[in-house]
Amino acid sequence: MEKSNEVERKREQKAEFDASEIEYVSYGGEHHLPLIMGLVDQELSEPYSIFTYRYFVYLWPQLSFLAFHKGKCVGTVVCKMGEHRNTTFRGYIAMLVVIKPYRGKGIATELVTRSIKVMMESGCEEVTLEAEVTNKGALALYGRLGFIRAKRLFRYYLNGVDAFRLKLLFPQPELHPSLPMAACIEDSDGHNDRLLVEGCSEPRIGL
Amino acid sequence: MDCEISEKASMDRHAPQPTSSIPATENTVWADASPLLEAACRELRDGELIHGENFNLFAAMSALEIMDPKMDSGIISRYCSVDEAIEDGAAPIPISFDKTTDVQCTIDIMDYLLACEATWHKGHSLAQTVFSCIYLLRPERTASHTLLDSFCKVIRATCKAVVSVVSDARTHEEEDLFIMAYGLPLNVHGDDKCLSLLNAVEENISRQLRACKAPSSKRKVLEDIEPLQANPDLEEGYCKALLCRIRFRKHFFHVLTCMKRPQGRGMELARKHIATCISELESIYKSAEFLLSNASGTCEDGMEDRTTASGCQPVGFDTSLNCRISAPTPPRSIKLLSWIKAIEYFEKLLQDLDLICSFMLDPSLEVLLHFLVQFQKSQPDLVARAHLQLLLVQDGKLYGRDPIFSVITRAAGLPEAAKNHDIQKNEYIIQLGQLVINMLKILCTNAAWQRRKLGKILQDWRVIYVQLELAFTKEYREVSNNSNNESASVRIFKQILVWIEEQTYWIAHRFLILGFELDLYAPGEYCMVYWYLYVILIKLSEKTQIKMSAADGTAKRKGKKRKDSPKDLARESRIPPAVLFLQCQMYLAEGLTVLLAALKNELMILQSPSPFNSEHERFIQHFELLQKACIPDHVSYPSFKESTAYARFSTIVVYNYFKDAQKIAKEIKSSFSNDPDRLAELRKLELVAEHNSVALNVICQVGALDPSLKVSLEFIHHPCFATAIVKRS
Repeated sequence: MEKSNEVERKREQKAEFDASEIEYVSYGGEHHLPLIMGLVDQELSEPYSIFTYRYFVYLWPQLSFLAFHKGKCVGTVVCKMGEHRNTTFRGYIAMLVVIKPYRGKGIATELVTRSIKVMMESGCEEVTLEAEVTNKGALALYGRLGFIRAKRLFRYYLNGVDAFRLKLLFPQPELHPSLPMAACIEDSDGHNDRLLVEGCSEPRIGL
Repeated sequence: MDCEISEKASMDRHAPQPTSSIPATENTVWADASPLLEAACRELRDGELIHGENFNLFAAMSALEIMDPKMDSGIISRYCSVDEAIEDGAAPIPISFDKTTDVQCTIDIMDYLLACEATWHKGHSLAQTVFSCIYLLRPERTASHTLLDSFCKVIRATCKAVVSVVSDARTHEEEDLFIMAYGLPLNVHGDDKCLSLLNAVEENISRQLRACKAPSSKRKVLEDIEPLQANPDLEEGYCKALLCRIRFRKHFFHVLTCMKRPQGRGMELARKHIATCISELESIYKSAEFLLSNASGTCEDGMEDRTTASGCQPVGFDTSLNCRISAPTPPRSIKLLSWIKAIEYFEKLLQDLDLICSFMLDPSLEVLLHFLVQFQKSQPDLVARAHLQLLLVQDGKLYGRDPIFSVITRAAGLPEAAKNHDIQKNEYIIQLGQLVINMLKILCTNAAWQRRKLGKILQDWRVIYVQLELAFTKEYREVSNNSNNESASVRIFKQILVWIEEQTYWIAHRFLILGFELDLYAPGEYCMVYWYLYVILIKLSEKTQIKMSAADGTAKRKGKKRKDSPKDLARESRIPPAVLFLQCQMYLAEGLTVLLAALKNELMILQSPSPFNSEHERFIQHFELLQKACIPDHVSYPSFKESTAYARFSTIVVYNYFKDAQKIAKEIKSSFSNDPDRLAELRKLELVAEHNSVALNVICQVGALDPSLKVSLEFIHHPCFATAIVKRS
């Protein structure tokens, strides 16, 4: 309410830029933390404490990336990986954000693709995340990357919205050894005008 | 974070030495850890944290930042405590010394509580909805205000009854917030007498209403009756508005009590109370016009969002008061349902309860399963589902009446006498009974949870089949050594085995169908989903047919020869309509599979290449639970590829599966003329078949390779079977 319409309009406005102007960096230390927190706080529905952010970026700095445009942080991805129920080595995408004016240009795809590649190289068998069922942009993005909607989680978020658990299974070597793995990842979302808002959270806050 | 630790350490040092309540022992000694902590703090750099090994994501996410309004449930927004709020005059008694205003305010409280209650049922915490009412939180305070007091009592008693039904049913795994009532006054002494109090209040207001409506000549006789409030012009309106609200609460409480009676004995009476509730709700709705026109005080803007009939904000509510007892959850911002939406919610709830109460008490399992699937289609909320589940399974019996074994023998098409057979003591048969009960309970849960659970129990059903088959083989060997006649137990085993297979495929079918309802499949995956559905439907129809003919055989052995009408005999096929019904869907699924495969192969659409994996992985993920349980045997990704890799329009147009589906749908309609649900379903299937058949012809005529051809799939006629839409751009 405090925001003037002018400010609001600027926030919504599409930014004019060339894809090559976007610089992607791996998480580099404490100075990146306020940038990540600022973006996530602004765009995602769930409230996270600083413990949550540090939990991710200190344990898996190699899985977090930031996107900059002319020195301004415009997007970020935060992830983890580990044993799931002692059976599967699983990657998990916790938060993915691109600010509104920069959406629809493949930044989110690039961020998340970088994380997934590291997960695959680190021996993950699968990658999971949750996304709101209403978040068409995110669902389309992850669908293009090969994620399936494995489950629907009833009223998963604090705001009462259902979530999908999305899962990406990496090829198991014994199934088809000849499959080329992620040789080249094209940005296929250039034509998509509604792209990505948010990833997810695990576990659901609170309970 | 380091500064937090050092601050704590220095505070401890300056604090007076506490007298230790735990004395040092032989192996332990008390030591001052402050220097160590201080040293550790000096070592810590910004962002570092000392933690135990068990500090995991859950611990990190459970941490709160004090004074952050998004996280800190304990943050004081207005009042520190209920008492402080009361002292400040947030919930006065009487609400107003002006009788008319007092009545107006009471009605607003009643309306707002209805909105709160509906919001609670829809998934928010009881503490932050219904119990945001300060009057409810301090039962002793309302004693002097009979009207408000009786209403508060019935609200608390109703909440208690609903919480108990839901927690007994345990269908709320994902809706766990619902029963959290910690710290709330749900067991107030005297609340159990709410109905007699409510009756007295109702009686009194009825008299006041009669008095104000009486012609002036008769008024003298009634003069000793004190009016409800001071303004004679408004007396009738306010009396009526109160009466329908009170009566609704009374009958709703009756509904809950009746439905709890064992063996469904209260269902008939419950239906009467449901009917009254619905008509009272209508009166409540109609009272809005009067209340709105006489509203005084602060009115909310936006009439659609108003939480009371009058549009006025109610007195005596504070959502933030209970924030602290709802911890450890962070404060949830609650958007209360509007008053209109709350009325709609209760109407729907009552209709759902009425459906439950009007269902027969001795259904066959097949009829019951069909009912459950139909019931779930309207997406009933937790309260209705919990009631249904409690009624269905009582003391391990169906409706608390039929032992599960007799339900099974009936489902397997065995003669009545089989239900008393000693076989029911077989440990696997007992386990099978447990599986049936478990399945019924699962079918009462919300669709999302239901699908996950159904997927998991498939393996149990498979295992019990294998175990029973082994037991059967052993039994059969022993029997065949003794005589040539098939013993009763062998027949029971045989038919139960067929039925288990049929039931297992039924669960698999439901699992796949729910995927459509939950929107779990992407268009690029439809081909494999329809293929799997097709495979399951083949098996399901096959097993159903075997079961039915075995049951038929049993009947014939008993001498009850079925008299086939000449019309039936004239028909070529002797396949029962129930099986044809499944076959109709089977042809549709098969038709869609080949249509989608041909689109992929020839038009190169609906392909979904992805950088990290292939269709194979997505197949594994979608059907993992079916594959693990070998449902069906020998089905895998290569078999899917094999049956779809060569699909071409030139070949599929020759054998048009949609035409078969359409033909069957037309033919069997008459067999279901007294089953409106299935008849409606058949009409939908027929429409899909007809449209897809045309679409297929169009694609083939125009030429599949025409680049201007646009084909999309839409669920316009049926929620699970897609209709192909063909356009030329």
